[in-house]
Amino acid sequence: MDEHGATRPVTRRSILGTGLAAIGAGIAAAPRRAPAQAGRGKPFAGTTLNVSAWSGPYPKWLGDYVPEFEEKTGIKVNYETPAFPVYNQRADLELSTKGSAYDVLNLTFIYSSRWIGAGWFTPLNEFLSDPNKTAPDWEPGDFLAGAVAPLKDPKGNVYAFPWIADAYMAAAARYDLVEKAGLRMPETFDDIVKLLKAVHDKEGVKGFVNENHHGWTWIPYLQGFGGNVFRNPPEDLMPTLDTPEAVAAAEFYANLLRAYGPDGILSYTYDQALNSLQQGRANYITFNQAWLVQLGDPKKSKVAGTVNYSLMPAGPKGRFPGIASHGFGIPVGSKKKDAAWEFVKWSLSKDMMRRMLTEKGYGSITRRSIIAGPEFKQKMTINGRDVADLYLKTIDLAARGYMKYRTVHVYPQVDKQIDKAIELITSGQMSAREAMQKAQANSVADLKKAGVKL
Amino acid sequence: MSGGVANVAVGPRAAARLLRPGWAAERRRAFLIGLAPALVVLAAITVAPALYLLVTSLTPLSLVRPDETAWNFSSPWANFVELAGDERFTNSLWVQLRLSVSTVTLQLLAGLAVALLLNARSRFLGAVRATFLIPMVLPPIVVAILWKVLYTPEISPLHRVLAALGHPMRALITDPSWALWAIAVADVWEWFPFTMLMVLAALQMMPAEPLEAARIDGAGPWPLFRFVVLPLLRPTLVVAALFRLIDSIKAFPLIYVLTGGGPGTVTEVTNYYAFVQAFNFSYWGYASAITVVMVSGVFFLSWVISRLVGLEVDVE
Repeated sequence: MDEHGATRPVTRRSILGTGLAAIGAGIAAAPRRAPAQAGRGKPFAGTTLNVSAWSGPYPKWLGDYVPEFEEKTGIKVNYETPAFPVYNQRADLELSTKGSAYDVLNLTFIYSSRWIGAGWFTPLNEFLSDPNKTAPDWEPGDFLAGAVAPLKDPKGNVYAFPWIADAYMAAAARYDLVEKAGLRMPETFDDIVKLLKAVHDKEGVKGFVNENHHGWTWIPYLQGFGGNVFRNPPEDLMPTLDTPEAVAAAEFYANLLRAYGPDGILSYTYDQALNSLQQGRANYITFNQAWLVQLGDPKKSKVAGTVNYSLMPAGPKGRFPGIASHGFGIPVGSKKKDAAWEFVKWSLSKDMMRRMLTEKGYGSITRRSIIAGPEFKQKMTINGRDVADLYLKTIDLAARGYMKYRTVHVYPQVDKQIDKAIELITSGQMSAREAMQKAQANSVADLKKAGVKL
Repeated sequence: MSGGVANVAVGPRAAARLLRPGWAAERRRAFLIGLAPALVVLAAITVAPALYLLVTSLTPLSLVRPDETAWNFSSPWANFVELAGDERFTNSLWVQLRLSVSTVTLQLLAGLAVALLLNARSRFLGAVRATFLIPMVLPPIVVAILWKVLYTPEISPLHRVLAALGHPMRALITDPSWALWAIAVADVWEWFPFTMLMVLAALQMMPAEPLEAARIDGAGPWPLFRFVVLPLLRPTLVVAALFRLIDSIKAFPLIYVLTGGGPGTVTEVTNYYAFVQAFNFSYWGYASAITVVMVSGVFFLSWVISRLVGLEVDVE
């Protein structure tokens, strides 16, 4: 294990072990102050930081706490959280110019290889190794290794720390309807269809819903059918979107959207899909845990009393739930890196993350010490279902390495081709075979254009 | 163009005129000095980026590989050659054509009809006119979100009313046969007030004599409109059509919010395709080439239309 504890594959045992060790070592002891902070007031008072991240739950809710940071440090923060595609387009452009418009940005999972590989983010090792800049109790090694891994370069330099280890799982917002039909949470793809047939349109609730970013939501089905995006990423990037497995997976998934989704499902963004579930207008979804646990919050959700969860069901070739991690990092063009690091440290400190869990019900915790604590288990037990256990099991599954396709620097292009293909099939413009052949041909052309040797 | 302010173009003959002694040249010099700051600003914010666009379109610039692709003029026409065989580009032109023709035609008809209805001096009609302007003054993104709500069956009052009347309607924006027309309807709603305003202004400035003469000669309402009002409105309608046509080629917010160019590429107009190439794939050279073709098309179109109708803009 290196100094950041990020090369060891994470297992539940190691998480719990570390957590317990930390508790044993007296985690409740008064935090030591960094030598730099002793006797110094507000070294960055008067600085202005520009911070941007896409509107995931953690960044969105962090906005409520930003005034505390400003109070504490005297730094003024211009803080924004645009929608995912908007953020990525803006950040990609800004980073490519190596400009100084932003001081802290989200390092997006799907762009991680591209942004890190192009040298657009600042390696954080220099901040970590200086006790004046990072107090020992901030503990970079406390972050889940699996969530930090995509935010590092091949040499092991770390460029961001994760606020999310987004685990793909399944939820039934109206599990009462599922039970009424004499069924349980699906274990396999076939079970999903059985469930949807039984509950679709019951009490005016649509069977299925999902967001229209198919390049994320469909992949667990593709891999479950035995297919993949590339032949052998990251070494062999020949796309494999027209294999029989990929065609079968596309046909299967498009049918879920078409036959059991709300009318107009192809226009649903992640916010719309979540809202549909929270209002009890749709029932079953396979999606990200950080969103799905919000269905259990009585303040926001009409289905808090009926929601149930499970692992992503298994396909004929196994279970492949997606994992995505995103983190806060510092663009290489920032002129205020030290102040920016203060923000990154504060936003991902043990205290902040614990409050995010206890005060906001945030579920995708990336620090082992908090995962091992009693609050996590308690908060993540929803209607008697231990979602914390599902979360950790999903992270374990992803350690097998099937997520390598996603951090390929040309994946954003292929992602868009997949989006289009699923749209074409669902809207009945093409057969699954035709649409996937088209996606394959376009992806090959795009990759060649990007200079990839196939 | 006749002399005066508009005649400060700096060609060889104009330069000679400027250097001539005398009052007229002095006057022109004064105009030029007065205009200079505005021309400099204009050059900085429009001409320079346009030139950069043109130059970039001759390179394979990709932001992910700037070292190899920036200022690389080894095969300057490659982007344009690739465009010629790019099905998605051809499709985008066809989508653009259908969208532009349908929206501009409908906006002219709706704008003209509403303007004729509201063309009277009364306080009530004044209030109605002001109401009709709302769609045009709303921020485009707000208009787009409004229509997204209207077009999403789950939450749409429109869909609910239709269902209650026994005529449930499928979601339009995700239906390949209807998505483009759904956008056209939203676009017409947003922009017909522009035509309405221009026509209203023209109607209210219309000379009364020809109308009176026609009435005295016994012309009924239709011949009066067909043979007197419409010919007098023609220049206004042409200008409105030209403005809306050029604007329609810039249609973006509605498509971005409502369909993202989909389902598939059914609503992917040319500028949206350029946006995808630039902002999703980082192929700035290729996106610039698409834009260059588009801008040339707009210029050509404007020129043809203004020639066809013998439009003469006299700035004096």
